[in-house]
Amino acid sequence: MLELKEVSARIAGVPVLRAINAEIARTSTAAIVGRNGAGKTTLLRIIMGFVPFAAKGSVVLDGKDLSRVSPHDRPRLGIGYGPEDRVLFPSFTVEENLRFPCEVIRMPTKAVDRRMDEVLAIVPELAPLLARSAAVLSGGQAKMAVLGRSLMVGTRLVLLDEPFQGLAPVLALQYTEALKRLQGARPDLTILITESNRSLLKDIPSVTWTLERGAMTVAGGGSGPRGSLPEAAPSD
Amino acid sequence: MTTEMFILATLDGLSAAALLFMVALGLTLIFGVMGILNVAHGSLYAIGGYVAATLGLAIDKFGLSPALYLPALFLAAILIGPLLGTLLEVGLLRRILGKEHVLQLLVTFAAFMILEDVQRLVWGTQPYFVSNVMNQFGNTDVLGITYTNYQMIVLPVVAAVAYYGLRYFLTKTWLGREVIAMTFHREVATAMGVNAKLVSLLTFVIGAGLGTLGGALASPSTALLPGVGADMIVQSFAVIAIAGLGQLGGAALAACLIGLSRSFAVYLMPELAVLTPYIIMVLVLLVRPEGLFAATSMRRI
Ligand SMILES: Nc1ncnc2c1ncn2[C@@H]1O[C@H](COP(=O)(O)OP(=O)(O)OP(=O)(O)O)[C@@H](O)[C@H]1O
Ligand SMILES: [Mg+2]
Repeated sequence: MLELKEVSARIAGVPVLRAINAEIARTSTAAIVGRNGAGKTTLLRIIMGFVPFAAKGSVVLDGKDLSRVSPHDRPRLGIGYGPEDRVLFPSFTVEENLRFPCEVIRMPTKAVDRRMDEVLAIVPELAPLLARSAAVLSGGQAKMAVLGRSLMVGTRLVLLDEPFQGLAPVLALQYTEALKRLQGARPDLTILITESNRSLLKDIPSVTWTLERGAMTVAGGGSGPRGSLPEAAPSD
Repeated sequence: MTTEMFILATLDGLSAAALLFMVALGLTLIFGVMGILNVAHGSLYAIGGYVAATLGLAIDKFGLSPALYLPALFLAAILIGPLLGTLLEVGLLRRILGKEHVLQLLVTFAAFMILEDVQRLVWGTQPYFVSNVMNQFGNTDVLGITYTNYQMIVLPVVAAVAYYGLRYFLTKTWLGREVIAMTFHREVATAMGVNAKLVSLLTFVIGAGLGTLGGALASPSTALLPGVGADMIVQSFAVIAIAGLGQLGGAALAACLIGLSRSFAVYLMPELAVLTPYIIMVLVLLVRPEGLFAATSMRRI
């Protein structure tokens, strides 16, 4: 379970997030919907440990206070991250990009191979791209590869920042299908997706929040069996 | 220009290029990972040279075996590079990561000035010239020109080993791939588990080691005196500007370009010799502002 308690952050003196409270159960997929500049990326970067937040707040994963964990130790905890700007390392092939986080945490090769097979079953579109240089992928293919890479280590929590942005309808559909397969393949996984356009998410999320000017409100539970009741702070 | 002068200028230029290449390699590696153009790299070159010269003199003074001359050069680089490198990285560079480039330049320039004074304090202002290693390697006749084997063979071989060694490290080892990932995107590399602090320190130490190695290997053939560090940093900047930042192979060609044009200028237009790195750099940047070899749109090492 991922718990955000009273998370507030300022960037350059300007309040960007205001007392965010939320709980996301294991097994649930949460969406955070908000306009450009609402603070979605900042929230994910806080969970990843890249943005400092006010001391009285906390980010806790399965009882572990993440503010005490170095950013680079998050993959070891099973946290996968798909950044907004779909950064892949261009001098590596797609396969090397996917294996990279596992390699960095010194996962045995056999285990990485197995993880690779598992990820390719979830995102089969990646199979024909594996040998290509990451530098030549299209924007949409790169989004897929970033999803795959986040799943290579993300066994407990996966954070995806605006994955649908810039995806053509066909690719968006493939992406949605991949997320559904992921929910089936890793029922214990907590997934957190940000998006500016709610309709793109279809029925993927079991819970949806709205982030507006740094404050979060419940926008509605999801359908599906993976629901959980969020504890959201009232907005200002 | 006579044939003799032509051959001499070519050999001078290539041996200078070998040294310049090693120093520029260190500079560009550090820039790739930390995003800081480290002016104090010139001091590492100078101090590496002074320490090597001091060791060379000590070998003579204590009547030690001449077989130690060459190892002493490497020892000097290995002693002083990681030591000074760690001090600079922990004390200075990691504190100015991500700050404005002007501030970074000023801070590393200040470190350079301080280290320049430290050199005067320790080694004085008289030129150091310890050529015992060079004499040991003997000479070879090249079309009527007698030239030292040290400059003609040893320096280029060491530079080539440094280049291929570094390439092997960066592409074939897990640590090297972490370095590459950091040069592309520090935050995403960290999110993938890379310990940015550790990799930065390691990269800085390797880069600093290349700088001190350049200085140590230069000490037998060049007179060490105040200002050598400044001269070297200017030339190294020119090399990486011409090649494009992070272009290792391109840096080798750029170093040859600068080394050769400078040595030819010494014979043909001595008054312009000091200016040649700037002139070439300006000409190249006018035509290709991103450098001759920069890959389109992405930075790589
Ligand atoms: N490094 C920064 N320096 C200054 N302001 C920043 C910085 N990063 C974010 N901000 C500000 O914080 C606010 C939230 O930004 P954030 O990137 O989290 O929004 P977002 O919801 O992800 O937007 P988008 O949909 O455009 O990606 C914005 O007002 C932005 O201007
Ligand atoms: Mg964003």
